[in-house]
Amino acid sequence: MSRYLSIFGTFARACLVRDMTFRANFVLECVTSLGWMAMNLAFYLLVFQFTPEIGAGTGWSKAPFFAFVATGMIINAIVQTLFMPSAEELTELVRTGGLDAVLVRPLDAQFLLSMHRVDFSSLANGLVGLGLLGWSLARLDQPPPPVAWAIYPVLILCGVAILYSLIIMLAAATILMGRNQSLYDFWFYITNFSRYPAEIYAGPWGGPLRAACTFVIPILLVVNVPARVIAQPLTGQSWWPVAGTIGAALASLVISRLVFQSALAKYRSASS
Amino acid sequence: MSAAKDPVIRVAGLAKDYRVFDKPEGLLASIRGIFHRSSRVVEALRGVDLEVGRGEFVALLGPNGAGKTTFLKLLSGIITPSRGTAHVLGHVPWERADDFRRRFALVMGQRNQLWWDLPAAESFRLHQEIYRIDPARFARTRDELVDMLGVRKLILQPVRELSLGERMKLELVAALLHEPEVLFLDEPTIGLDVVAQHTIHEFLRHVQRERQVTVILTTHYMKDVAALCERVVVITHGDILYDGSLVEIVDRFTTHKIVTLDLDDAAAARHLERLGYPCEIRGPQAILRIDRARIADVLPEVLRGGGVRDVSVEDVPLEEIVAELFRSAPARPTAASPATAEATP
Repeated sequence: MSRYLSIFGTFARACLVRDMTFRANFVLECVTSLGWMAMNLAFYLLVFQFTPEIGAGTGWSKAPFFAFVATGMIINAIVQTLFMPSAEELTELVRTGGLDAVLVRPLDAQFLLSMHRVDFSSLANGLVGLGLLGWSLARLDQPPPPVAWAIYPVLILCGVAILYSLIIMLAAATILMGRNQSLYDFWFYITNFSRYPAEIYAGPWGGPLRAACTFVIPILLVVNVPARVIAQPLTGQSWWPVAGTIGAALASLVISRLVFQSALAKYRSASS
Repeated sequence: MSAAKDPVIRVAGLAKDYRVFDKPEGLLASIRGIFHRSSRVVEALRGVDLEVGRGEFVALLGPNGAGKTTFLKLLSGIITPSRGTAHVLGHVPWERADDFRRRFALVMGQRNQLWWDLPAAESFRLHQEIYRIDPARFARTRDELVDMLGVRKLILQPVRELSLGERMKLELVAALLHEPEVLFLDEPTIGLDVVAQHTIHEFLRHVQRERQVTVILTTHYMKDVAALCERVVVITHGDILYDGSLVEIVDRFTTHKIVTLDLDDAAAARHLERLGYPCEIRGPQAILRIDRARIADVLPEVLRGGGVRDVSVEDVPLEEIVAELFRSAPARPTAASPATAEATP
C-alpha cells in the first residue's frame, strides 16, 4: 500500500511540475472551472427566488440544498482531480496501443490507468465546495450532530468509490471496444442524475428512474445520502440509506474490478 | 536451431487468431452491416515453436503483418494467445506476474513511453519507484547508461523538445534502468539517421555482452541485424520460415557472389560482355553475379582482359536475400465466416 501511495505521490508531483510548466493553461483551467460552478450556483439562487423549498416537505430548503450542492462539488472535485484526467486519456491509449506500455509494468494496471494523471486545477472546485458547505451548515436550523460529522467523510468516500467504479466500467468498455470516444459524454449524462435530490424523481416516469439509479447503477446514492446525513436531521430511517451506500460502494468496487480484469484479458492491442 | 542451452524463452505451438469484421463499401451496405456483419479469422501467429538461450541476441525478421510484433506482445504478456504455451524466465507471460514484469523490458520504436511534457529525468524517477530500484543502484545505472549514450545533457530537457534519435536513446535508458534479463526491441532504430543507428548498435552490443541480457529484436533494417545478431528467425504469415545463424542464411539462400569491377575504358566492358557472365554495366562499373563455387576460376579470366582498376567480391546484400525469402513463403489461407461473433481471445 505504501508503495502505491509513494508511486501516486510521484505521479502527482510530475503532474504538478507539468502544470507549472504551462502556468497560463493551469490558471485558465481553474478560472473556467470556477466560472462554470459560479453559473450553477447563480442558477440555484435564482430558483430559490421563486420557491422556499425544492419539493414540498422534502426538507431541501435553501441552506440544506446548498449543503447538497456543496457535497456534490466536493465529491466531483475529488473524482475530477484524481481519476477523470486518466479516464479521458484512456480512449487514446487503447486506440493507439499506448496501453501496452502500462501492461508491462510490474504494477496493478487498474491503478496505473486510473490514477496516473492528477488535475490540480479541479481542486479549486473542491475548496469552493468546502467553503459553501461551511456557509450552508452555519445557516441550518439545527447544526449536524457529532455522529453526522463522523459518518459524512465515510459517505463522501463511498460516493467517490461508486463514481470511480463507474469510470472503471467505462474504461473496461473502452478496452473491449477498442474505441469509445463517447466515454466522457456517457459519464456526464449518467452522473447528471446525481446532481439533484432524489425526491424530484417521482411519478410514473420518475419512480422507475429513481429505482434504477438507486439499485442498478447506484448513482443517486452518491450525493444524496451524505448530503442528507449532514444537512437534515438524522432519524431511525436514515441508517438504511447509509448502510446501503456503504454496501453499494463495496459492491461497485468489486464488480468493476472483475469487469476490468476480464476486459484486460481480452485486450487485443493496436497494430504497430 | 530451436533448442537452446539454458533457455530463458520457451515457446511451443503458440498461435494467435483475430476475428476481423469486414467493412462494406457504400451507405446501404454500411447500414446492412449494422444488423449483419461478415467476419473472418486472421491467423496472426500459427503455432510457433522456439527456444532462446540466456544471453542470445536474436533478430526476428519478416514482412509487415508477418506476426513479429504479435509474437513480442505475447512474450511480454500484453495479449493472450489463442493456442499454445510460452514461458519467459519461467513465467507464463500473460499471467502478468509482477516478478516476471520486473525482469524484462519492452521498447517499441514507434511508441513513446516517456512523459511527453516532462524531462526524461522525471520518467526515470517514476521508473525507479515502479521497479523498486535501490536509490544508489538507480543512480549508478542511470549515470552509466546516459554516459554510454552521450545523453547526460538531455535528461533535464522536456521530451517533446528532443529529436527522434535522442528520444529513442532515452527510451533505451528508461528500459534498462531496472537491469532486465530479457529485452524485447520492436524496431528501435526506425526513422533514425545513420549516426544514431550506429550509436544504438554500439550501446546494445555493449549492454548485451556486459550484462548477458537476452535480446529479441524485430527490425526491417538489415544493418541492425548484421551489427548485432548472430541468430536470425524469419517469420512470414505467422510461421517460422527460417531459424539459424546469420552466416548460414547467406550460405543457404544464395548461390552466387557479387563481383564489382571499376573499369578503365569501354574496351574492358566489351571484354566482360564477351565472356558471357551475367553482367550489368553502370557507368565505369561492372557488376557480375558469379556462382560461389566458381569465383576462383572466374576472377583470373575476368582480370586477364585488363582495364580493371579495382575489384571487390561480396556476398549478396542481406536485404536482397531476406526479401527473396519473404517472397518465397507460401501465402496463408484465411478462414471466412459469416458469423457475428466477438473477437477470439
